[in-house]
Amino acid sequence: MLHVLPGQSEYISKTQAGGDMDDTGMAEKLVRVLQRPDGDTALRPVHTFGISATGFFEPSPIAGNFCVAEHFNTAKTGVIVRFSNGSGSATRRDGWSDVRGMAVRFHLTDNRDTDLIAMTLPEFFAPTPKTFLEFAEEAAPAPYEGQTPWQKILSLIQLKLPKRDPYPGETISPDDGAIRFADQNAYAQLGVLQAATIGAPTSYVRAAYHAVHTFIVTAPDKTQRWVRFTWQPIAGVLRTDPNLPPVDDYLDAELQDRLGKEPARFSLMMSIGEIGDDFEDPSRPWPPHRIRVMMGTLTLDAVSKNQLELCEKLSFNPGLLTDGIEASADPVLHIRKESYEISSEWRGATPCPFSQR
Amino acid sequence: MTNPNSWLNRYVNTLPERGWFNFLSRYVVVPYWIWKEPRPKLPGGPRPSPQPSESVQRMMNLIMPLKDPSPAGRARATMAIAQNVDEIFAGLDNVGTVHFARFLLIDDNICMISVYDGDFSNYIRDFITTIGSVFDDVVSLVEGGEALLPTEHNVEKFIDWVHDHDLFQAPDFPTDLFGLQDAAKGLAPNKPPHMLESLPRDLILQLHANRNISLGGGYRAYPGVSAAQVRRKFGQGW
Repeated sequence: MLHVLPGQSEYISKTQAGGDMDDTGMAEKLVRVLQRPDGDTALRPVHTFGISATGFFEPSPIAGNFCVAEHFNTAKTGVIVRFSNGSGSATRRDGWSDVRGMAVRFHLTDNRDTDLIAMTLPEFFAPTPKTFLEFAEEAAPAPYEGQTPWQKILSLIQLKLPKRDPYPGETISPDDGAIRFADQNAYAQLGVLQAATIGAPTSYVRAAYHAVHTFIVTAPDKTQRWVRFTWQPIAGVLRTDPNLPPVDDYLDAELQDRLGKEPARFSLMMSIGEIGDDFEDPSRPWPPHRIRVMMGTLTLDAVSKNQLELCEKLSFNPGLLTDGIEASADPVLHIRKESYEISSEWRGATPCPFSQR
Repeated sequence: MTNPNSWLNRYVNTLPERGWFNFLSRYVVVPYWIWKEPRPKLPGGPRPSPQPSESVQRMMNLIMPLKDPSPAGRARATMAIAQNVDEIFAGLDNVGTVHFARFLLIDDNICMISVYDGDFSNYIRDFITTIGSVFDDVVSLVEGGEALLPTEHNVEKFIDWVHDHDLFQAPDFPTDLFGLQDAAKGLAPNKPPHMLESLPRDLILQLHANRNISLGGGYRAYPGVSAAQVRRKFGQGW
């Protein structure tokens, strides 16, 4: 018998039904549309460049009160984490403004794993696979030239922000298409705005990462809660100076150097949703006033030595969950499970955990 | 294709920091847009919400312009609070839903900043019931306040007045400003969607209509918890 918190009961039937998707072939279309002309099909279509590190997760003393999952009830759980740049370009551009990713795999007992995949953008661009496909098609990288000085002056006189200048070496960009899409679809505006202004972190461990989707966690008394997770860096958030020329390759070396001297830590915060929140729409973040529970601390103490096997070939999946944590009916979360499998297969990676069954 | 490194482009990129451009913007460009596309003043205080955590730890930022902002007038306002500390503290205890409250003098204003649980109108109504006489002293020193005296007999009018002087709370998510501006004009929010590039102009024009604003709903260390729950948990309740 499950107990559902007040205000959350109306969602249970849709969730248990697994949503109302009719997305035949959608996952494949999504992976295909995300492949950039300047990408490499042997690599990931997005979040192409990354680095993995290892460490452990320690739950907070109260985490087990909220979730029965093993890693919230075990003193220490080993992890591997892949940090990444969001772009699918095959040329590394650490210093460009871009969303960053943080995929965490918790190594549970009996050779089981569970993943939590997060990014620096606090919301997704679209609420459904269909609308995300439309977004991705419109935002396909296209030639980017910025504005002429006269166009910038006109923008300033109209109290609009001028477009940024292209970065050195930047010839194509998704920016114009993304903004064009957001002008027609209000749900995409927050994500597009924040992605355009997100900047570059000084370190992968100096950014906050949001898991954007809603998950359902089960407590020991069977109470179920609809929640969202965020990793908060203990070192604090710090971006590079956008007025300085961007540096193309510094994040991997910074992480290696940092972890060679001392561990890096993140707090795992869990926000509990309430009636009226968008449980199934990842394009809509929850306000910062929801009850927030500190679920534990992640400590990273080493960069993986074999980056080919333990980073590039590794296949994470947001659908790789464990007892005590379920996917909500969020249709984007469900399609991502399939898309990650396809992406893994196409680039010849170590098979996704779902493929091994 | 524009050369980003051209002298003209680099100069244009620095325009927002140049004095002459800011002068032009302040006295010509912005006034023109204020004239052409005025925005209605957006209402103060927290917005209605079905979520329980939005009904606790709500912010009130009450800005009341003093009739006499001279040092002597400001001293009178100071005395109006200082001479009634017992009454204010006893009243706040009796209201029972207040986490924090304080009075400030900022420039020509006396401000009451508080964090409370529950409905805004009930909060003000409780206040009038418990410390109406203090508010009479304060309101008598404030522009437009004489029409509200005695506040105990003008409760609904006083509630409207407080609401009007409570700061507009900018949305936690910047693009939500579009929908709030639509609603203030009686339009359906985001139908049609706004152009994203117009957000800076919408914000600037809104800051003309609402000169002082609260920047978002603020941080809470223990969100979703009422003052009564905190007191009960720590054994300080009543």
